[in-house]
Amino acid sequence: MKRLLFFIPAIASLLMPISCSDQLDINTNPLSASKADPNAVLPFVIVQYSNRKTTELGTRMHDVYQFFSNTFNSPKTGGNTAGGFLSGNYWGMLYNQALSNLTLVESDARAAGATNNNVTAIALILKALAFFDATSCWENIPFTQALNASAFPQPEFDSQEVVLNGLVDMLDEAITLIDNTPATGTFNVSQGDLIYGGNMANWKRYANSLKIRILMMIRNRDTSVDSKIITALSQPVVETNGQVAMLRYSGTAGNVNAWKLIVTAFGTGSNETTNYFGPSPVIRELLEGDPRLQLYCIDGTNGGYEAQPIGVFPNNTKARYSDNLIRGSLPDVWMLPAEITLYRAELAAKGVLAGDVNALYRLGVTQTLEFWGQTIPGALQTLTQAQITNFVTSLTDLNTLTPAEQVQRIGEQQYLETFWRPIEGWNHVRRTKIPDIQAAPGSDIATMLKRLQWSPTEVAANPNNPVQPSTDLPMWFEN
Amino acid sequence: MKQVLPIFIFIAFVAAHAQGQDIAVSGRVTSVDDGTALPGVNVTVKGTANGTVTDADGRYRIQSPSTGVLVFSFIGMKTEEVQVGSRSMIDVSLNADVTQLSEVVITALGVEKQSRELGYAVSGVKSEDLVVARESNILNALQGKITGVTITQSSGNLGGSSKIVVRGITSLSGRNNPLWVVDGVPINDAHDNTSAQNNRISGNRDFANGASVINPDDVEAINVLKGAAATALYGSRAAAGVILVTTKKGKTGKGGKPTVTFNSSLRFDNLFRVPDYQNEYAGGQNFKYDSSAIFNNWGPRIVGQYITESITGDSVPLAAYPKNFNDFYRQGKTLINNFSVSDASDRGDYRLSVSSLNQTGILPNAELNRITLGFNAGMKHSEKFKTRIGIQYINTKSQGTGVAGANDPNIWGLNSFVRSTNYKNYKPWIDANGNQINTSGNTDNNPFWLQHENRNERNDERFIGNFETTFSPISELNFTARIGYDYDMDDRLLTNRVGTRSRATGDFLIDGINRTQFNVDVIGTYFKQLGSDFTLKLLGGYNYNKRGFKSETLFSQNLSIPELFNPSNATVNTPTRAFAEQVLFGAFGEAVLGYKDWATLTLTGRNDWSSTLPKDNRSYFYPSASLAVVLTDALGMDNTTLNYAKLRASAAQVGNDTGPYQLLFQYFPVAQAGGQYGLNQNFPFDGRLGFQANNVIPPENLQPEKQTTIEFGAELQFFKSRFTLDVAYFSSNNRNQIIAAPIPPSSGFGFKRINAGEIVTSGVEISLDARVIDQGNFQWNSIINYTQTDSKVKTLMPGVDRILIASEFNNIQVVAIPGQEYQLFGNSYLRHTETGRLIINPDTGLPQAGPLKTFGSVLPDFTMGFINNFTFKNFMLSTTIDWRSGGLLSSATTLGMWTGGGGVETAYNREGSYIISSGVLLNQDGSVRDNDIPVRSTQTFWTNINPGGSPEAHVFDASFVKLREIGISYSFPRSLLGNGFINSLQVGVEGRNIALLYSKVPHIDPEATLFGAGADGFGVERNTVPSTRSIGFNLRLTF
Repeated sequence: MKRLLFFIPAIASLLMPISCSDQLDINTNPLSASKADPNAVLPFVIVQYSNRKTTELGTRMHDVYQFFSNTFNSPKTGGNTAGGFLSGNYWGMLYNQALSNLTLVESDARAAGATNNNVTAIALILKALAFFDATSCWENIPFTQALNASAFPQPEFDSQEVVLNGLVDMLDEAITLIDNTPATGTFNVSQGDLIYGGNMANWKRYANSLKIRILMMIRNRDTSVDSKIITALSQPVVETNGQVAMLRYSGTAGNVNAWKLIVTAFGTGSNETTNYFGPSPVIRELLEGDPRLQLYCIDGTNGGYEAQPIGVFPNNTKARYSDNLIRGSLPDVWMLPAEITLYRAELAAKGVLAGDVNALYRLGVTQTLEFWGQTIPGALQTLTQAQITNFVTSLTDLNTLTPAEQVQRIGEQQYLETFWRPIEGWNHVRRTKIPDIQAAPGSDIATMLKRLQWSPTEVAANPNNPVQPSTDLPMWFEN
Repeated sequence: MKQVLPIFIFIAFVAAHAQGQDIAVSGRVTSVDDGTALPGVNVTVKGTANGTVTDADGRYRIQSPSTGVLVFSFIGMKTEEVQVGSRSMIDVSLNADVTQLSEVVITALGVEKQSRELGYAVSGVKSEDLVVARESNILNALQGKITGVTITQSSGNLGGSSKIVVRGITSLSGRNNPLWVVDGVPINDAHDNTSAQNNRISGNRDFANGASVINPDDVEAINVLKGAAATALYGSRAAAGVILVTTKKGKTGKGGKPTVTFNSSLRFDNLFRVPDYQNEYAGGQNFKYDSSAIFNNWGPRIVGQYITESITGDSVPLAAYPKNFNDFYRQGKTLINNFSVSDASDRGDYRLSVSSLNQTGILPNAELNRITLGFNAGMKHSEKFKTRIGIQYINTKSQGTGVAGANDPNIWGLNSFVRSTNYKNYKPWIDANGNQINTSGNTDNNPFWLQHENRNERNDERFIGNFETTFSPISELNFTARIGYDYDMDDRLLTNRVGTRSRATGDFLIDGINRTQFNVDVIGTYFKQLGSDFTLKLLGGYNYNKRGFKSETLFSQNLSIPELFNPSNATVNTPTRAFAEQVLFGAFGEAVLGYKDWATLTLTGRNDWSSTLPKDNRSYFYPSASLAVVLTDALGMDNTTLNYAKLRASAAQVGNDTGPYQLLFQYFPVAQAGGQYGLNQNFPFDGRLGFQANNVIPPENLQPEKQTTIEFGAELQFFKSRFTLDVAYFSSNNRNQIIAAPIPPSSGFGFKRINAGEIVTSGVEISLDARVIDQGNFQWNSIINYTQTDSKVKTLMPGVDRILIASEFNNIQVVAIPGQEYQLFGNSYLRHTETGRLIINPDTGLPQAGPLKTFGSVLPDFTMGFINNFTFKNFMLSTTIDWRSGGLLSSATTLGMWTGGGGVETAYNREGSYIISSGVLLNQDGSVRDNDIPVRSTQTFWTNINPGGSPEAHVFDASFVKLREIGISYSFPRSLLGNGFINSLQVGVEGRNIALLYSKVPHIDPEATLFGAGADGFGVERNTVPSTRSIGFNLRLTF
């Protein structure tokens, strides 16, 4: 038994690990990395941006600018419904998932030098896109002090004028970087670039086209940027449907456009039988006689593609958006050539730019129809060239109209061109007031929704957050 | 540290000890109640350091002067003192200690102490009180029985979780769950979530908290250590309290034979509360009948008109089916059997226990089967050297677990039943080709399909073991080394069969969760008599604790063969993996200075080294001091009115670390890109990986948390201890908390991990224990437990208005706001500032959404338990009534009863029109006038009652009074049992959740919660599986 006298101390010694320090130095997560390749970060940013935009803005806001008659949890009536999770989620995605990761990508790429100019440029262009979405939703946003937590833990908000002009500069820098990318030794970003597969010529077109979109917003308030627009229009832009900026969805599980997901998660998998989404009277009227009506919609049992009034979901007696639109392989479109062509038409009609208004107008409409009826990946239904030509030919010759009438007709086609793109659709209606969108029935506000309420998350954490304006207060760019 | 510490401990405690023995006294200690041997009884020579404990057969041997007095003390028994005189053999029988004047209680690290020495409150429940109406989750058996805790049973799910909070909320980061310690070994009490959406609100399956596996039949006692002074020796892991579980040990039965017991209960479970349904209007919309109108009861008035039955195609009169929920819910059954055998001898003891729990739930196809094997054995190698081993193996298999929350096709709640639907017609639910039989529209499922074809299964294998060895080289010096290991392998399978609406192509989610915990305690104790008046007890030791967590999930979509859950059968597979481990070292010491047996000063100190803190700050020390004074002894009071008075006071600090992997800035591979409504994309996306950076700014110079607690209390006993009053006041201040503080998202990050924030918690606990009647054959014992806790957030951090604690749908959140308790937060109704009246929408006559606001605290103001035990001859009646006052509940099920038109209130004026007369209309000049705009229809009114998701109409005061437990038993007298092999026989009737005596929440159990034990989402309910009322029978046999 005596040998047991030291049993306890012996056990105690054995149980005490050889070195406390070794045992305690285990606080590094084996499943995370200290660095990440842009080819892995960019796909996250692009897909996350696209999916959050579709599910927050698309499925909830398409009745604000009245692409749809109704959506679930829509902010269209303004007031206190125009904030909450919608604002918090979209703001959070833009700043905490897109912009934050892009800033890290940009920082690493800048440090790597000129061979990574292409990566820096892509990061800057995507940042400009994200900031543009933010100022489109909330007007004044943190910009100059944003994304720099150590220097500005509670960023000040910048005016929309500052933001939009800053974005033009950001895109100019991106274009310069692309121009100064060395011919050899360039970082291969083709894997991470889900938009253009590393084709920097297309990125340059997209950057310039996005700059024109932003300048068009600025000129609505400040026409001194006209010269910049004219210069930009002389540079390469997205001008063919082969250069469209879009995120493609394969439609196979895990890679399914969220429009399909929503009718699958809550319905039958088909909007044609689930009856969630249908056209508003406004868009229905604009599509009268347009082959896009049959391309986009299926008819109800009442016939005549009747649309439900705003605030009412369709049923099988009314027109609904077809499975040709609400499908898993529907791409998330960021920029069509028709947008730039129709800007040219608008500027020509307004005397800012020389050009044949009618020819530009018809080209813009043709490009739109060709994209939705022919080029768009995965279409279930297409338009023949004859259908497109016949329709375009049937359009009124704008050269026979007054400039104001020209602007109206162009504006209507611009509205249809922005179809299915939430930010662009909303911006277009606010910028041009075409078509005339009235306040939704039962609104708390006097006009169409003009802005979202601040993100509750930002409000709760940032004392520099401005006072919430009424959600029918026009933004700076609205003139 | 290396190997220095144990040597230090050893040296420190090897000291001179008192000498001088006269005669050897031996004997046996038994229980007066049943004559069984009492092992582990402390036997000491009064006024000396000389002592021993009885062996497994209750025998002891000790040296004592003939003038000495032997003191026999034991947990829950009345201490006896016996003059030695010339006797060398002294047998003693101990009585149960109803007065608890000198009760021995188990304290931190398993150290036994006299209750009179404790400067802090300890609440305990004994084994017989845990099995009045046996529970599958032991936590529920504590409801109402102890002060200072709030216990909430989440739902009626088989094996569902229960949440216990000890002395209120103290942590902003969710570390509010107490530490569970079984036979000295910490075990995991995690409540892991499995969800394709990775949150607790989208299709929440409540798969129990880790400690729910503890088998009440194997438990000797549960003690709850509440304050920091009580838990200080356990270190940082015990900041939210400790629940000490002591399992039963082997002992000899009557006549020195083994003890064999058999305990069996059979209970029947039914819905605890049925909503008040209307039965006048049929399914449909706008007074039009629609057989596919799941959830909607806005069809025509039911007057016997003929309709075509949707499934049978028969023309049948339209009818209401008032009890149609019973065609879905069924009577559940609970069968609990426990068999144990135990024995003891001079050298050792053992107890072997086998328990089975077999339940069928009220949900179709819901089953839970649990087997528990318990083995506990001790060996006395010599007077100085003992070892003990304890092993528990628990296997829990469940299926048909109900699904709560939203955004999941498997959710079926009390508000889903259409009044005019005959759910009998929904059986069978599947045809010969495997297609769903259903006419419930295009989007909703046959509920029987959901329960039978979609699987929500769990197989949990749990092993908890401990090995303990004790060595006492001299009677004053004692060393104990204890090793414990807790291993949990929790496999889950959630499926949606091909053909499930909203998941038409089928999917499955496999989650394998592995938690381990390895714990070592090495403790030395030393006792020293200092002169005639003072005693000194020293304790020192160290602790090593390592916890591991692994989770490997596979989410597979697009199945080819419906019931084949193989990744190769799916076109898309998304695997994810999680891993974490952390290590804690602790060194601790305690000094207990006693004076004349009426004053005790206890000082403790502990230093922890945590792997989760920065190297420079990972060592932290915290002290405690407590004082207990038995006033009646100190003052020599001999008062029959107040026969015992003890005052106690303590002050303590507890440090706390944080979770692993929070110090570095890292990138993480991403499995999904999230979207609203859980509409997510998967990575790899088109063959591309996705990585994102951490959204939390890592801390700089992170410090451990420091929680400071003071406590004052008194224990008063009156009229020869017939009435015992225990009062405690406590106040704790948890500052410098380690939290992920929300920062403006525009800064590029969502959070910054810092030391900030402070919660001040204070409260009063009152326990009154009265032997109201104690006459001959009749005894009535009554206990009232009152707990009032106030947990206020004092500060957050500069510039931050509130912190999100838990989030439900529709902007409904639980938030922390400075100056308040945790608040329910969400959109309000729009109200006129001056009058507070609703501002009505002039177009619709309906209320409108207002700004976000707080609705009030989600925490109760106070809780009370009323326990009454009546004994008449061999009959016994026990009842427990539970009262919770205050705290809010947002009930989405009630909202569903309204928006779906199923609630009885929606039938009122169904065919009329409404004007919300309490509302006003805004004039153009800003003034208001009485509202005169009618709402279009009753359906319009109820379906728009939550504008902008405002929960204002369905937020209720969650106060309730429940008859929680009732047990009636009859013990057969020995004379009826004869001299056969049966020693005792008891039969009884038992029931749980018998009646809801008071509630302000309509339609549902006010106790329901969505989040379960794993989150601090108090006050939120959405489609929670309804709770049950259980009534049954019990048989207990001892051989």
